[in-house]
Amino acid sequence: MKAFIQLVIANIKELLRDRMSMFWFIAFPIFFILLFGAIFSGSEDTTSFAVGVVQQDNGPIAKGLEAALTSAPVVKLHIGAQDAELAALRKGSRDLVIILPAGLSSAVRNRHRVKIPVYYDGTKQMSSQVGIPLVEQVLNQVEAQATGHPLLLEARPQAVQAVTLKEIDYLLPGILAMALMQLGLFSALRLVSLRERKILKRLGATPLPRGLLIISEVTVRLLLAMMQALLIVIIGRLVFGVTIVSSWYLVAAWVLLGACTFVSLGYMLVSFARTMESGQGIIQLVQFPMMFLAGTFFPISFIPGFLQPLVKAMPLTYLADALRQVITGNPPLFSIGADLGILLAWLAGSLFLGIRFFRWE
Amino acid sequence: MLDSLDLSTTPGADPAIEVRDLYKSYGAVRAVDGLSFSVPTGEIFGMLGPNGAGKSTTVEILIGLRQRDGGEVRVLGRDPKRHPTAIKRRIGVQLQITALYPRLTVQETVKLFASFFPKTLPVAKTIARVGLEEKAGDRVDRLSGGQAQRLSVALAMINDGDIIFLDEPTTGLDPQARRSLWDVILELKEAGKTVFLTTHYMDEAERLCDRVAVVDHGQIIAMGSPAKLIRDNFHEQALEFNQPALGNHVDLQTLPGVIRMQREGEITTLYTDQAPRTIAALMEASANANLPVSDMTVRQATLEDVFLKLTGRRIRE
Repeated sequence: MKAFIQLVIANIKELLRDRMSMFWFIAFPIFFILLFGAIFSGSEDTTSFAVGVVQQDNGPIAKGLEAALTSAPVVKLHIGAQDAELAALRKGSRDLVIILPAGLSSAVRNRHRVKIPVYYDGTKQMSSQVGIPLVEQVLNQVEAQATGHPLLLEARPQAVQAVTLKEIDYLLPGILAMALMQLGLFSALRLVSLRERKILKRLGATPLPRGLLIISEVTVRLLLAMMQALLIVIIGRLVFGVTIVSSWYLVAAWVLLGACTFVSLGYMLVSFARTMESGQGIIQLVQFPMMFLAGTFFPISFIPGFLQPLVKAMPLTYLADALRQVITGNPPLFSIGADLGILLAWLAGSLFLGIRFFRWE
Repeated sequence: MLDSLDLSTTPGADPAIEVRDLYKSYGAVRAVDGLSFSVPTGEIFGMLGPNGAGKSTTVEILIGLRQRDGGEVRVLGRDPKRHPTAIKRRIGVQLQITALYPRLTVQETVKLFASFFPKTLPVAKTIARVGLEEKAGDRVDRLSGGQAQRLSVALAMINDGDIIFLDEPTTGLDPQARRSLWDVILELKEAGKTVFLTTHYMDEAERLCDRVAVVDHGQIIAMGSPAKLIRDNFHEQALEFNQPALGNHVDLQTLPGVIRMQREGEITTLYTDQAPRTIAALMEASANANLPVSDMTVRQATLEDVFLKLTGRRIRE
């Protein structure tokens, strides 16, 4: 125990005094979160609709509709002539244009059906899938008030989370997963460097058990992983208002599992390397495709079919998916049980091969 | 716990190290080729030989870092193959390459190594014994070669082991640093430790060792106290000079007093039991041939001469 504590202390001191590593350790997550957060959260207007209204009736019902649309959430109302509004729609500065035709109010009073033309941009999914239902809802409400027939069936949408999902909610857990992957994979290189600098040999001349050395190395890496995860989550919260939908404990458990898996994978990979250079090469070869194919920056459905088997084999895909579920509540790609099972399988396989093939000299 | 029981045997009764017919090959290369020797408790024993003679391999087998191919080894009465950890607790080791954590300080390094042993000497006292008190707070990567080597010796001392293994402790050090390290090693002997030392410095072996095994190509070619080795091989003085061409004009072996001649590159060495007469004859021959000699020295024979005589080569190229 005394040896373990001293090894951990020595390891941490070595790290803290390595300014370059410390800089990257802190700068990497901040840099990624700020950069990608800024890129993807630039378009704030995606959640508000520019609706153009062409008022040709001016009767009480038509005025009521106009008022209801004005007070509807997320709608930004513009009133204008038909030509001007349709031109604005074509230019993309309106999402929807609603024509309230002349005679609308009197027709409703006389219980006649009225067709209200709604123009939208067919290329914009948001307009058709969110905007039109919104307009229909407003029309129904106004109709119910005008005719005195209350709406008997009413859907009451209830948000499961406090905030709506933004791009940063997708990105942040992925970047955290990527940071854990890199920290984990590269941590084994320290052991290769200890071997190359003959420090392992020197330690081998003492009664220190090798297992204890490895355990102390891994402990320090897991501590680092937790610290880096905390850093990322705090930056996400302070800068982008990302909140954790599940519990901190659950997130910590997934961070720990992810770090363990990638540390083991790193040790397994370097067990096939003789030198620092070849170790670095092997790790780069493994981490590079994972960085781009595990859905960190864009959903894995964007990746062509022939790469899908690779995507579905990579541990990072599952760690990122699990973290997205427990941190920001993104819809799951895989069940949380599948994420857990595949990460554990990678962990066990890496441990087995690493222990079997690692060379001490 | 068994280790502490072992300590109850009378010190000095059994040899600290016993090696019989030790073999170790790396592929086709026979690094250690049938070594046998024994080191009594309390002795400074030296292995003297050029690079590649098998010294480091022998040390690594004795301390349980490497497996032997054949032969018997006992360190403190135990086989390092079967009880490596028990032996490692009771020996101190300094390896040829000073490999330590570069960003730890001297004090932190000694403290770290102390944590690997059940019983240790005080950290500050051990640092003081190798004269590094003033450097205790300095980082390892900022130490000079001599200071790093002394730190390495401090690590070999920290567990107060019964045998201290020092593999080429003064290689690459300046003369002053070497001498201060020699003092540390002699103090170890005074403290009753057995010291197993490898070196390719003749003067180091002569100055420090009670007994020396001269090794070449993995074999012991001579063994005994430095004085005895020199006495057995030489009762004469060595006369060295630089004039390679002179030998072509005069048969130097027939000069008065000359017993044997050795030529190594530019340098000719005449071993003589009548140095003044040999010098006079050499001067005369040189004048007659009009080939002036330079760099002439007369000295007592050393282990270097023993090595040269036994192998036909100088120990350092």
